[in-house]
Amino acid sequence: MNEKKLGLPSIIATSAGLIIATSCLLSLGVGSAAIGESFIISMVIACVLNILFALSVSELNALMPNLTGGLAQYTLACMGPFISIIAMVGGYLVCNTMISSAECAMFGNTLNSIFPQFGLSGSVYCVVLLIILIVVNLRGVDMFAKVQNFVAYGLIFSLLIMGILGTIKINPSDIVMQPAVLSTNFADITSYCGLAFFLFIGCEYAIPIANKVDNPKRKLPLGMVISLVVICIMFSLLVIGFKNYTPWDALGESTTPHVLYGTALLGPLGTYWMAIVSIFAVVSSVNTIISSLSYIAFGMAKIGLLPDIFMKVNKKGAPWFGIILFGGTMSVINAAGLSTSASLSFLILTGTVFWMIAYIITHINVLILRKRLPKAPRAFKVPGGPVIPVVGSIGILWMIWNISSDSATRLSIYGVSLLILVALVIYAAVWTKKSMKRDLFTPYAVEDVMAMENELYPVYNNPKTGASKVHPVMEK
Amino acid sequence: MELSRIEIITSNAKIETLRSAMGKYGITGMTVFQVMGCGVQYGTQEYEGEAKVEPTLLPKQMVMLVLPKEDVPDFLKFVSEELYTGHIGDGKIFVSDIENIIRVRTGEEGYAALMPQKH
Repeated sequence: MNEKKLGLPSIIATSAGLIIATSCLLSLGVGSAAIGESFIISMVIACVLNILFALSVSELNALMPNLTGGLAQYTLACMGPFISIIAMVGGYLVCNTMISSAECAMFGNTLNSIFPQFGLSGSVYCVVLLIILIVVNLRGVDMFAKVQNFVAYGLIFSLLIMGILGTIKINPSDIVMQPAVLSTNFADITSYCGLAFFLFIGCEYAIPIANKVDNPKRKLPLGMVISLVVICIMFSLLVIGFKNYTPWDALGESTTPHVLYGTALLGPLGTYWMAIVSIFAVVSSVNTIISSLSYIAFGMAKIGLLPDIFMKVNKKGAPWFGIILFGGTMSVINAAGLSTSASLSFLILTGTVFWMIAYIITHINVLILRKRLPKAPRAFKVPGGPVIPVVGSIGILWMIWNISSDSATRLSIYGVSLLILVALVIYAAVWTKKSMKRDLFTPYAVEDVMAMENELYPVYNNPKTGASKVHPVMEK
Repeated sequence: MELSRIEIITSNAKIETLRSAMGKYGITGMTVFQVMGCGVQYGTQEYEGEAKVEPTLLPKQMVMLVLPKEDVPDFLKFVSEELYTGHIGDGKIFVSDIENIIRVRTGEEGYAALMPQKH
């Protein structure tokens, strides 16, 4: 029986749905309030760099298709277990825990903005939500599986409509007269590229749908690129709408810029529209992230990169340790208080630094495999030889260098990132040497990494029982 | 016209892909054999902990077809990309020269023996 394959519009919708999160709106508000419509230039630069990444990850997927471990397995085959652990734990587990905490804070802040009479801190709402989501995940219930795409598309559709309405000045009586551009200094524009970068990260989550796509070689990279461009256009419209309806100062201080904008544009209708859509989107995405991070950790433990405890499941089949660890960490971060846009931006930017490092590693992986397997068939190959991966890596490094316009904030971000990195380096080195008993930087053969996808792999390759075929081999 | 013989050993699942590509590359016929065999892994499954010492023969398909030498690079690129999964067992492709071809019924030789007859 032929299963119906996804076409280009479905790929674009799915990819965009995976990229856009409610916390993006906070970054959009902070960036716009700081430099006005010049933030659109920052977004275009960030969008281009994400498109280069989408091309690189498409080539890796062509060479090592249908890997559930994604970046962890690409890096294992290119740079060995040490870098793989750092990239995956830092670039996905730590970073997503931080960014999801910010996403969760949007839930509390949104409720706080529409129910100020309750006088509750936003953190209370967040922690209650997280406890509920932890329990739901521990019971193995994915209550959002069927509505997740609907909720994500609802958010995209709402933002698009809101952006268009604001741009065409649908409500002329409430227009705010203020300068469109607050800075034309290129240094200012570049210093907000890091924040803008966050608006586009996550396109690699579309890779797993490749096997459901008709002609994935061409359509998957194309769909990812188009979705990034569509998101860039949609956010640009919102920035223009912000300029027309929200005073820059109020926008910069707001922890719920979408609600502020919705209220300014459409009154109470706009308030409740944006609040309801964003609350559903946050709950759905945080639930998914708690679940997916625990399963990523489960997968990493399966191939020996994390302790076995991440592989333990409860009676409902849920990887309980990961669920409690990631959900619990998010609860602690939220309980510590994320009540200002500055603290949320800091958390997002710090998480983004690790995600950016993971993206640089992805570009380098492409170059390594080009050198090691120059003749291996690639259904998709990034055009222009090494130019795009090199330019993409340099561009992202430049963004990390300019992660914030405020030097004190930048140093704090570097400080926190360095502390986390040191912890990761120690863990990765000790774990690789003592538990995995492998060389830190010797890559695995591609076929060994591909074999890890087989469900019988852990049975035959359990380091605890000494049965292990996987040996670092360089392809000839 | 110089001709080449392409022999492809691959899994059963890939035959349909190759068959559907025939028209695109001007191939007028193909022969498929059901074969048993193994490669350098001696039939070891990719997940198995230890490599087999004695060869285990696995069922495969072998496709033999002939096409003009000038079309070989494009065809090989297409076939390689279609067969590629990155896993052990994707297959092997053998390319060799054809000295002559004879259509027994008519006695036509060379490329003409592969083409539909003109009436």
